[in-house]
Amino acid sequence: MNDSPMAPMPPQNPQHELALLAKMKQGDEDAFASLYRRHKDAVYRLALLYSGAPSTAADVTQDAFVFFLTQAQQYDPTRGTLGAWLCGVARNMARKAAGYREMPTDPAELADDALPRESQIERDTPETRLLRSEQAEQVRRALAGIAPHYRDVLILCELSDLSYAEAAQVCNIDIGTVRSRLSRGRAQLAQRLALVRDDGAMEAAS
Amino acid sequence: MNPTDSFLDPIRDAVLDQRLGELSRELGRHQPPAALEGALVAQFRRARQPARARPRLWWMPPLALAATLGVVSWMVRAPMPAQPAAFALPPAVQSDPGPFLALRPLERIALEPSTTVVATEFPRALLADWGLPVSPDRAGEPVRAEMLYSADGEALAVRLIQ
Repeated sequence: MNDSPMAPMPPQNPQHELALLAKMKQGDEDAFASLYRRHKDAVYRLALLYSGAPSTAADVTQDAFVFFLTQAQQYDPTRGTLGAWLCGVARNMARKAAGYREMPTDPAELADDALPRESQIERDTPETRLLRSEQAEQVRRALAGIAPHYRDVLILCELSDLSYAEAAQVCNIDIGTVRSRLSRGRAQLAQRLALVRDDGAMEAAS
Repeated sequence: MNPTDSFLDPIRDAVLDQRLGELSRELGRHQPPAALEGALVAQFRRARQPARARPRLWWMPPLALAATLGVVSWMVRAPMPAQPAAFALPPAVQSDPGPFLALRPLERIALEPSTTVVATEFPRALLADWGLPVSPDRAGEPVRAEMLYSADGEALAVRLIQ
């Protein structure tokens, strides 16, 4: 959702950003630093959501920007914003760092009440508490437990402030698929949050 | 998200938005390590650094090498200088088998533009003036010789004819 309170994606001024990019390609160090400052937080937080570990998120952020400074020519401004492209790079690197392999989506999983396969649930989320807020930590853990292809669009659209079109580009799917995965992802997240809450209550009761 | 796309009822939808908002706000407190920017800028600098500038006298070593190769090549190919002969005789004299005795430095004789050989006869005692051994018993005898004169009449060499 694009009215996210975190708003990690900086306000975009494409012309200014493209001018900075051109300067960077000519070797302007300040232009690169400026672009880094504009996008570092969004990239880092996205990596944090995927990895669940600050050290891994820092590594992913570094790798993503190293890729950017060495392969900047791969960014095509006609296909989306630089922020979305960097998020895509970071997403791929975070998934690679987690050893995650994309599983083909079974149409049966797209049913309203479908639950993710066990193999699709990331179980390597650190048990150490990442976030100070208990409520936020609960959501983060619930998010880490849903099917990756749903988690992708939730992270990109709800928490990284990417548009549907940008999320579609990052995930290499069409916008309609983004919409449907987002709906089902939200449903799964709500379900897992309820389960987490119920489990917590049971644990507290016992 | 468009509410019409949602599988959730509006209340649960709103609660989920609220929970996601909490996560967003909490994530907003997290930032990458401050040292990362410096490391990346340094990496950018290294990646974009042009090839090391050539020193001002970069052409000296290749020039010296080329000059050395040229000199060595010339030394190998050039004919060895002939050992200096007694001196270079005029063509007319070269057919005579007898040696001439230089009375002047060889370099001086070799530089003469034209020379003349003159047959002559003089007292043997004169040979002593040129440093040649003379028997006192034969000092009075005449000696036949050929004299090599320069264009201005200077005696350059002598050849005894016996």
